[in-house]
Amino acid sequence: MNIVVCCKLVPEEQDIQVGADRSISYAFAERKIGDYDLVAIEAAAQLAEATDGTLCAVSVGDDFLNNSKLRKAILSKGPDSLSVVTDTVPEQLDSFQTASILKSAIKALGDVDLVVCGEGSADVYAQQVGMILGELLDWSTLNAVSKAEMESGSLIVDRALEDRIETLKISLPAVVSVSADYAEPRIASMKEILAAGKKPVEEHAAGDFGALPDPAFQVVSVLAPISCERAEVIIEGSDDEQIAAFVENLCAHL
Amino acid sequence: MDFTLADEQELLLEGLDEWIDRYVTEQKIQKWYEEHGIPDEINKAFLDDGFGLLGLPEELGGVPFDTITKMLFIEEMGRKTCAALPLTNNVLGAYLAVHFGNESQQKLIFDEYFATGKNCIALAASEPEAGTDSANMQTTTKEKKGKFILNGTKTFVTDALEASYLLVVAKEEDPSRNNPKVSMWLVPSDMPGVSISPFHKIGSQVQSLCEVYLDNLELDESYLFGARYEGFKQLMHTFETDRLSVSAQCLGMAQASLEDAVEYAAQRYTFGKPIVEHQLIQEKLTDMEIKCQNMRNMLYRTAWERDSGFSIRLSGPLTKRYCAMTSIEVCNEAMQIFGGIGYTTETRATRGYLDCRAASWGAGTNEIMTYIASKQIVGKYVKQ
Repeated sequence: MNIVVCCKLVPEEQDIQVGADRSISYAFAERKIGDYDLVAIEAAAQLAEATDGTLCAVSVGDDFLNNSKLRKAILSKGPDSLSVVTDTVPEQLDSFQTASILKSAIKALGDVDLVVCGEGSADVYAQQVGMILGELLDWSTLNAVSKAEMESGSLIVDRALEDRIETLKISLPAVVSVSADYAEPRIASMKEILAAGKKPVEEHAAGDFGALPDPAFQVVSVLAPISCERAEVIIEGSDDEQIAAFVENLCAHL
Repeated sequence: MDFTLADEQELLLEGLDEWIDRYVTEQKIQKWYEEHGIPDEINKAFLDDGFGLLGLPEELGGVPFDTITKMLFIEEMGRKTCAALPLTNNVLGAYLAVHFGNESQQKLIFDEYFATGKNCIALAASEPEAGTDSANMQTTTKEKKGKFILNGTKTFVTDALEASYLLVVAKEEDPSRNNPKVSMWLVPSDMPGVSISPFHKIGSQVQSLCEVYLDNLELDESYLFGARYEGFKQLMHTFETDRLSVSAQCLGMAQASLEDAVEYAAQRYTFGKPIVEHQLIQEKLTDMEIKCQNMRNMLYRTAWERDSGFSIRLSGPLTKRYCAMTSIEVCNEAMQIFGGIGYTTETRATRGYLDCRAASWGAGTNEIMTYIASKQIVGKYVKQ
């Protein structure tokens, strides 16, 4: 079985700077693999190992995808190969544009049976790319998958919903987005880190896949939330009166 | 001169950080220190995530581990935990077995190590009358009807309570100074005739340090570990990177104490401003930073010399002496910055101070480092 996992490099939260005018700067931010995508990589790696299949990671993004350490970081966590689309990728892509490029990159890989995506990206968290990608490929598509295994050519998945767990059988090829609790991402060993540097990386330019679709929307502004001073109201004790005062204060500040 | 780390080194350290966040919290460390041990599942997880395979041969699933990477790794473990956790040393038994063990000893040690992740061998070399003065060793084996009867007392044996085997260094027949017939014997620590008594220490609380009494142990040649009469050479081989590892651990704990002290100084107010704005505190922090950078520069350079095939007969003892002494100074100043809290067990710096103190004896005293280094210094500068 040939599996693809999609992942995105996102800015390190702790490096993001907020200006006095609430502007957000990523200028000094390192990049890392998004937390939800780490879960997707782990889920895909487990499926590839269980089925003796292959796993290719696909990522679309800016220059950070040329960073050798970040490439090795992805490849040390299970994938056998990496395909990156980085050249001429606009700074901001909406979900539809991202899914369109991913579709082309996946098509370029040839036979693919299953695509695994994360719950959402760790920066914008639109939770759309997996669904749009499935639609563009015209494959079976599911999100919120908390467990998956192959059974005689079909994928049996669990979807944990608020009040029930659905078990569904889907035919392949398919695109599934896995929930954040699907698996605990592995910590790569030195052996895997050393092997990562020897794995193949395929490089594409966005232009290789024809013109990008127009963005579905334009970003007008991105600002940090207005920060407010801490009220610093301290209520001590556990009597009914104090609890009532606590609730009253809490409601007043909401 | 290039101080840039390789991608692989950075990824290894990031993985270690993540592992520590996942398995080792400050609360857990405090509990382990109170209980004087690390739970079995932690040792096993350290092995299973690949950290316990570093430096072992490929046929055992290991990967090469150069001295620089090893030092970065041990330093980061010390920095992230501010504790002398022996996890990075768990591989010791397997490492010794690879180098010196016979086939059946290797099987015993590897089987146990890969099942538990714990260090299997405690090195029993020092004696009450033979620490620095190792030639004065009194432990002997005496051959009697094809058996070797082992008698003696070993002291400051690290891990003797935890490890299943003791590696006893002993002279054959005659304990006199000029007897070069020193061999190593691998003895199960529960063998009749072995008794173990732990010391109560002021630091490094998760690893035992013991006296070991060896009373008429009956051994045959199968207990020999490595070549007969090569015990002293093997011991020196074992110590070779030990001094650097100890230095790296001290550096890590000193760095952690510095970081904690800076964080505290930035939020603790006296006389209307954070204490980090008081000049006496600024001087302390500046000197602590200089000391950490010095320790690091010296350690990395010595590690680089070793990896590049240069002799570290001078730089090794210099690094060990400097790091053992300087790390305590850094932790001590960190405790001072914490004010009265520095004298409680509420800060990591206090633990770092107590744990770094062990390095003034372990892997060779500060004084013997001077002795070894001074001979090299004379040789280096005196023109015949």
